Formats: sequence, C-alpha cells, structure tokens
Amino acid sequence: MTVTIERIKEVLQTVTPDIQSKTPRRVFVSIPRAELTKTVNIIASELGAQHLSTITALDTGTVFEVLYHFLVDGIVVTVRTSCPKDDPTVDSIVNIFPGAILYEREIHDIIGIVPTRHPDLRRLVLPEDWVGGYPLRKDWKPPEGEE
Amino acid sequence: MARVKLPIGPQHPALKEPENFTITLDGERVVDVDIRIGYTHRGIEKLMESRTYTQNLYLVERICGICSYAHVVNFTQNVESILGIQIPKRAEYIRTLVLELERLHSHFLWLGVAGHEIGFDTLFMYTWQDREVVQDLLELISGNRVNYAMNAIGGVRRDLSDDQRKKILEGMDHLEKRTAYYKEVAINEKTILARAENVGILKPKIALKFSAVGPTVRASGITMDIRKDDPYASYAEIPFDVITTDTCDVLGRIVVRVLEVFESIKIIRYLMEHLPSGDIVMKVPRKIPVGESISHTEAPRGEDIHYLRANGTERPNRYKVRTPTMANLPVIAEMLKGTFLADVPIVVAAIDPCMGCMDRVLLLKEGSEKQGDLIAWDRLRAYGIKWYAERGWKA
Repeated sequence: MTVTIERIKEVLQTVTPDIQSKTPRRVFVSIPRAELTKTVNIIASELGAQHLSTITALDTGTVFEVLYHFLVDGIVVTVRTSCPKDDPTVDSIVNIFPGAILYEREIHDIIGIVPTRHPDLRRLVLPEDWVGGYPLRKDWKPPEGEE
Repeated sequence: MARVKLPIGPQHPALKEPENFTITLDGERVVDVDIRIGYTHRGIEKLMESRTYTQNLYLVERICGICSYAHVVNFTQNVESILGIQIPKRAEYIRTLVLELERLHSHFLWLGVAGHEIGFDTLFMYTWQDREVVQDLLELISGNRVNYAMNAIGGVRRDLSDDQRKKILEGMDHLEKRTAYYKEVAINEKTILARAENVGILKPKIALKFSAVGPTVRASGITMDIRKDDPYASYAEIPFDVITTDTCDVLGRIVVRVLEVFESIKIIRYLMEHLPSGDIVMKVPRKIPVGESISHTEAPRGEDIHYLRANGTERPNRYKVRTPTMANLPVIAEMLKGTFLADVPIVVAAIDPCMGCMDRVLLLKEGSEKQGDLIAWDRLRAYGIKWYAERGWKA
C-alpha cells in the first residue's frame, strides 16, 4: 500500500497534533524529546519506512533542534524534536535505524548533541585531538589569535 | 594464525582521496574494517551561514568536483521552495539536461576508475576519452568543464541555441555506440568477470538496514531513484527506466551504471526534442523569507539531500548537506567483510566514493603547534617555505 500524507497524519496523530505539510511530498512532525523513540518506531513499523536520509541538527539560539529525515514512498517525513542547551541529549535511534550511526556521530562531533546509548561516539569529521569546541553552535568563535 | 591490523591511508598509493581504513586481516581475508573520514573537511556548512544566497550559489557548487551540479540544483530548489516560486519550464529542462550530462561524465569516469582498480587500464583510457565528449558538451553549454555556474535562483543563467542542441544530439549518437561496446565488455570480458563477479556482496537486507543509496542499492535489486520517487526538475514528464540488477556484487554495480548511461542518453534526447520555448530565469528578491525546505536529488552516486533554514535575511541560518558517499559508508564495511585484501580497492571503488564531497568542515591545523590552533594561509605558506629551505630546497 502506498503511503499518503493523509495516512501519515492518521498514524502519527496519536503522538502529536503538530503535523504540517505546506509543500508537496514534505511532512514535518514536531514532537517532544521523550516521544522520539516511540515516534520513530511507529514510522518504521506502521508506515514501513526503511530509509533514513539524514539527521540535521541546528542551534536556534535558545534550543538545539534535531530533525530526522525519513523517505517513505517518495514523501520526506521529517521528525522535529529539540533539547535545551544545558542538557543537549536525545535518545539514539541506531537500534531502530542502523543507518543513523554516522549521522548521530556527526551531530555529536560538530554541534555537541549527545545521542544517549549510541554505541560509538568517536569523532567523525573533526580531528581526533580537536579542542576548539562545537563549530556549528551559534555562539562558537574560532580559537583566539587566528583569523 | 594471529590477526593483523593493517592501516590503509589517509595517504596511500591505492587511494585516490584521503581517507583511512583500518583493516583487520585473518590471513588474506578481511574480518573487520574501521573507516576514518574528515581529512578534507572544509567547513562549508559553517561558511554558508556567513555568506549571501548569491555567494552561496557558487560555494555550494564547490562541495564536489564531479557531481557539483546536483548540489547547486538542491540549493536553488530549496531557496525557490521557500520563496514559493515555480521557475520557467525551459529553465527546468536545461537543468535536467545538465544533471544528466553530469551523470554521463561521472559514470564514464567511474567506469574508467573501476577498470584501473582491477588493472584494466585500457578500459580506463577508452572511457576517459569518451568522457571528453561529454566534457566538451558541458563546456559548450556553460563555458566550464566542472563547475558550470549554470543556475541562478529562479532559473538558469544561459540559454541553449539550436546549434548547441544539434551538437548535443550528435554527441549522444557517438556515446550510444561506445556504451554498447562497454556493455559487451562489462558482461563478457573474462578479466572483469574474474575480478567483479561475487565480489563485495551486499544483500538487499543489509543495504536497506543501513539506508544506503544510488547505484550501490540498485545493484542489490532495490528500486530506489529519487528521480522517480520524488520527481524534481522535469523528471516527472520524461519517460525513463530505473535500472536494477539482483547480483548484489561489484559486477552488478558495473552493469547498473553502464545501463544507466543508456537511460541518460534517452533522457537527453527527449529533452532536446521537447525543449519548451520561453524565459529561462525570473527575478527574485535578495532577502529570503523565514522558512525551511528540504530538497533531494538523485546525484550520480545516489541520493543527495540538503536542508535549508532561512530567517528572513540575505543569509541562511543553517544549511545542511548529506552527500551519497556518507550514506554508503556504513555498507562499505559490510561489503568488505569476508573478501580478500586484494579486492579491497575495487570494492571501495564500487560505491564510487567521493570523499571531498563528504567532508566539509576542516579547520587546518599543524601538529607541532599548540593543540587546537588554527593556521592562517600566509603563515602556512611561510611554514612550507621554511620546511623546504631547511631541507636544502629553494622556494
């Protein structure tokens, strides 16, 4: 059965009323952090999602937003959650989507969001001995004395 | 026999780009693989936040030196989506044309590299000669061989003349003949079969499990192609087939790419015969309203996805890029397990890796200085001159 935007709304309304689709084939689902594992499980089991395109993390200035982009029958379903800056943690979804392993390492590396229960949180793109902080945070400044 | 850990890279004669594989061997068999990336991280996502949309148009193009245009199309589609505009049809056709020419040159390039990795350098020289036909066409259309600078936000910057259309169609006739020959070679040539058949097995279950993309998954029998699944540019109205095979090995990945060349030729002919008339670009404001957008394209290596968060200014608030090589990295490790050490280069090459694309944020730093130091270009240059002078070289 092909998944439609109506079907996505129907399945996910048990988790959140905040489901928006402003442009064709794009759905944004906003959820509290505690509901992440449950929501991703529903997307995998009931919508049959098999492809996690990527994870985006961003600093809004007040909180960190984390967006999980899934591809389901040509529709990009984005699950949006956020975490406070003094507690930058979200549950890891690696046990549901193993493809998340590098994407979670990346957000940990460059913005400092810790995916809890992630099996391997080594650096991904920054050098192993990097001490310059998290470059993609808005308050980040290059280490002093240089351009 | 004791297991041996073999580090390959970041600098190694068998690698074309800097990456590091730590391979655990049991005799000649690979039992485990650990991959390190980041050696060409350039900070593009961060840089984009401090540049205007027009400047970013040209920065995004430099994420990759091969599939540069897939990135530009994603960027312009994202901005246009937030603006809520529909670009002229002729512009969409021209974008689709360049996207497919890019796929052609990328697939010819890859076929040559694959030939080279298995010691079949004649194939490498043949395909790269044919790739020049595509490069000449791209230069004819855009003035450039690699970074075409074809897009504007709201359309394209250059129109197509009737003479150019004629030359493109002639080029397609030549490439079709050549590709028919490569198809014969790929399927029948004994040296290719010996090195590619049943090598680097990727079962569909594993490919899905790790969310792999592009020709890599299509060679494992999975029908995934963004051009069909979520059509962009003018793909919705063009007849073409998604190529898959179910051999799950390196040979399958060769066959998929060779057959995809025929599909691209078919698409380009359709575009040239049905090219609509009209404008090629529309005027857009400099400031982009508050909003967010996701755009993904089927780049030659697979799904390339970009996310844009705009905050009403002339500059993006956040821009995120995930290239196909990043998505295919976890399955490399799976494909390598159980193969022979000698097959490592071809198995890695079979996903058509593009490390430069994947790494985007490096801040250059030297080991002898204080840790975490950044180093400016003029100081780096002075350091280089001194380094060579100490060893008796003249700058």
